[in-house]
Amino acid sequence: MARDFAVPPESFDEILAWFNPDREMAAAMYVQLRHDLAKTFRWRQCSDPEGMTDEVFDRVARKIRDVRPTYTGDPRLYFRAVANNLVKENFKKIKTQIALEDVDLTKQQISEADAKDAEIEECLHGCLQELSSDKRELILAYYAKEKQAKIDHRRELAERFGISVETLRVRTHRICLSLETCIERRLRRNGQRR
Amino acid sequence: MNNESIDDAFLREFLLGKVNDEERVRIEDLFLTDPQAKDRVLGVEQDLVEDYLEGTLTTADRERFVSRYAQTPEQRRRLRITKSIKDWAIAEAASSPPRKTSGWRGLFGLRPAFAIPIAATAMIVIVVAAIWVSRRAGHSAIEQELAQLNAPSSVREEPVSLELAPVTVRGADSKASFNRQLSENEVVELRLLWIQKERFPSYQATIRRVGDNQSYTVGNLKPENDGKAIRLKLPAPLLSKGTYQINLSASDGSADSAEEYQFTMDT
Repeated sequence: MARDFAVPPESFDEILAWFNPDREMAAAMYVQLRHDLAKTFRWRQCSDPEGMTDEVFDRVARKIRDVRPTYTGDPRLYFRAVANNLVKENFKKIKTQIALEDVDLTKQQISEADAKDAEIEECLHGCLQELSSDKRELILAYYAKEKQAKIDHRRELAERFGISVETLRVRTHRICLSLETCIERRLRRNGQRR
Repeated sequence: MNNESIDDAFLREFLLGKVNDEERVRIEDLFLTDPQAKDRVLGVEQDLVEDYLEGTLTTADRERFVSRYAQTPEQRRRLRITKSIKDWAIAEAASSPPRKTSGWRGLFGLRPAFAIPIAATAMIVIVVAAIWVSRRAGHSAIEQELAQLNAPSSVREEPVSLELAPVTVRGADSKASFNRQLSENEVVELRLLWIQKERFPSYQATIRRVGDNQSYTVGNLKPENDGKAIRLKLPAPLLSKGTYQINLSASDGSADSAEEYQFTMDT
């Protein structure tokens, strides 16, 4: 999505100040909100989530002087409302173009089409070495079983750690997220070398 | 999560695009503003991805899933990454089945042909244990030095500073690095940003160099700046070239979540 550069530079500071008077906290909230908005755009099948997130921030930046003094409540919800309007405006653009059968993993088309599985595996092994042994073992145990068997297995695992299944899921998700970030970083680095 | 009526099944419907606009907006609002809700949505999404990869979704749900999670090359790459993690775990679990021995009774009931190699192994274990104990003493000395360095009363002038954001924050600078030679007396001061809402009176940090088994723990680190940052000081001689990983959590172990940070020593 093309960006509108007619956004006053000082608006960014004002957005940060709106999030939190403490600039560090505000910056962390900004990073998190960008990530979360992009996620909601993905859920809604938008083709350019990052571009649309930029557009949301640009739109808010242009209006912040008028909005901020009168808006009450969590500013993130204002951004969400702007995002919602943007999706509606772009409805035609977010329509998917690819036929479902072309992208179904279970039909083994992904590994053939992209042929990167071996590279991902290599990166995964490198990233697993970066994990502490506790985390590596947790991921190993969590994913050791499939289908119906995994439900009982994860319940036992949670009991063993003295936590709820939900907390266990959150923990493994965070580890997976860091693994995913690490793998993507390595894939990017490999791509740059080629 | 604030709203009890939102259970995992409902979140799954949301993720598959089966809820109406009003419900979708409600969940998106929670996702953006409530960290617990966010964790839960992401957890349900993780389960959904797994079910897809295991082929347990109904045909209709699979089609909905594919239209939402496998449309772009980036999404497909993420699915492949998750699949590779699962495949690795299943293969590892299959290659190391749980032991079926019956403890001491099984060991003492062995025939002599097996007893000799076991005795030899036991000797090796004892020798290795002795080496480990001696290394442990060195390890304790380093941890003691770290504790002194990080004690509130300890003051060293002009340490080399670096601010680190947790690696789980997307967009955070994951390439934080030192690229100059440090002298033996220098101290590296890391400012670890704590972005979680929940704050704790003190923290403990565990640092390890990627690829090494050895890790060092520093406890009783007091937060500063209203709990938004924790300062960790490290002596330069501890840091050789490589990537370092720091896990930060509440000292009392009460926190469900910890944060992870990374930085690289280039020289």
